[in-house]
Amino acid sequence: MPPQTLRVVYSAFRMAMLHWVADPQWVIPNVIAPFVFTVVALTLFKEVSGPFALYAILGGGMMGMWGNTLYSSGFAIEFEKWQGTLEEVLAAPSNLMHVIAGRSVSNALMGLTNMVAILLIASLGFRVPLGVANPILFAVSLVLTLLSVSALGLIFASSFVLSRSAQVFTNGLEFPIYIISGSMFPIALLPFWIHPASYILGPKWGIDAIREAASSESVSLYFWENLGVMILITVIYVVTATALFKLVEKKARKDGTLVQA
Amino acid sequence: MSRLRIFFSSAIFSFRAQFSWLNPPMWLTMKFALGLSQMAFFVFVGQFITNDPNVISYIAIGNALQTVSWNTVFSVITITGHDKWDGTLPLLITTPASRLPIFIGRAMMHVLDGMLSVAISFVFAIFLFGVNFANADLLALSIAVVLTAFTMAGFGLLIGGFSFYFREPIVLANIFTFVLLIFCGVNFPIQELPQPLQPISYAFPLTYGIDAARKAIAGATLVEISPILGLELIVGLVSIAIGYIFFQSFERAARKTGRLEAV
Repeated sequence: MPPQTLRVVYSAFRMAMLHWVADPQWVIPNVIAPFVFTVVALTLFKEVSGPFALYAILGGGMMGMWGNTLYSSGFAIEFEKWQGTLEEVLAAPSNLMHVIAGRSVSNALMGLTNMVAILLIASLGFRVPLGVANPILFAVSLVLTLLSVSALGLIFASSFVLSRSAQVFTNGLEFPIYIISGSMFPIALLPFWIHPASYILGPKWGIDAIREAASSESVSLYFWENLGVMILITVIYVVTATALFKLVEKKARKDGTLVQA
Repeated sequence: MSRLRIFFSSAIFSFRAQFSWLNPPMWLTMKFALGLSQMAFFVFVGQFITNDPNVISYIAIGNALQTVSWNTVFSVITITGHDKWDGTLPLLITTPASRLPIFIGRAMMHVLDGMLSVAISFVFAIFLFGVNFANADLLALSIAVVLTAFTMAGFGLLIGGFSFYFREPIVLANIFTFVLLIFCGVNFPIQELPQPLQPISYAFPLTYGIDAARKAIAGATLVEISPILGLELIVGLVSIAIGYIFFQSFERAARKTGRLEAV
């Protein structure tokens, strides 16, 4: 990667982190819904035994990452529009994709923090043991899932540039994504016609791998299959997002409807 | 007469204002998608642990009623946020119009919108999740829904009034829309909460509304649920009164300090 690209990515990352430090209250919308859902699930599951607590607690953490990605993708563009800085970002000679990639790294970092916070709060509040059977593979699958969530965030971000309803999309997509990713329950419970939508979500495979690493010391082939499929899907996300950004940027420049969109 | 005109103007303009950032087809999509997906999420979580249809009905009805809070709490609180962001707050503060009809009026279209959301969610509950409405007392249920929408708008005004003191009211909108899922008996009875937290549940009108609606769906008459509705009305009116006090004290502070958006 050329040094100037790295500089753009780093600058975007730094700006995103500075914005967060300047106004840390924005972390609340990111974590409030996943945290509440985890509390509700743990309350519903408290009388039953089996893998339910693991589903609730890891699912809650996973939703924390999702929530962060959705909000940061949706609001990043909305925020630029409100501040009147979107035109400058697009007019700069830097590639828009590199700017958004820098922000995505910061979102991923925040997403990880959200996940850890939800895991700790839920675990301490409900006294659910947080034992991880295979910590190394757990960490590997977690980081790769985080990257997959961020890559999906890039696709959302590119679509949100052209919409005046990014904030609405953000709120509206939250529950459907929590459902089809199978974060809190197996997707086998969903109607069969929804399954294809689940299969194209990289993080769906990631959460299955995370659960496997958390519950078994020696993982099965199932773990590696999940990880492999997720990596493949993540690569497709990045390629798609790159193409979308080029398309969206071209359309926005041509139509001149960037801020009014 | 002029108070009535201000009330209706405030109601219509506050509702129309949301279409500056939301187009009507998107509003309609959200109306159907949000209630359905929220209900489906919690129903699937319930189905993961049990096949008991009573539990599924309990969750579906609770979430159907809770959708009212997206309109009456989330949207009403964000009116305050948009007043700050869109630069309409100074105009609101300098107008000579009576404050009470402005304050209450801004939530009223959201009451109607909230009732529509609940009605749509009930249709999903019946046809997708098999909730049985055969014994429902429709008069009692309708009044419970209307009162819940109205009193929850009161709660939205309370937090909206409080939000004038914050730079980003949308943060509070998120918090107070979601915590209702924990405290109001939406997915589990409030007796499941730790004992010290249970009294908090009774500060939310939704707790009474959901209880009354569940009883009405099970066949209870209006007379039988009227004590619950009475309590709900009291909590809703007290919420509006406190919210109005916040609004007035904000206005005084804003005039005194000259810091409107960032008080």
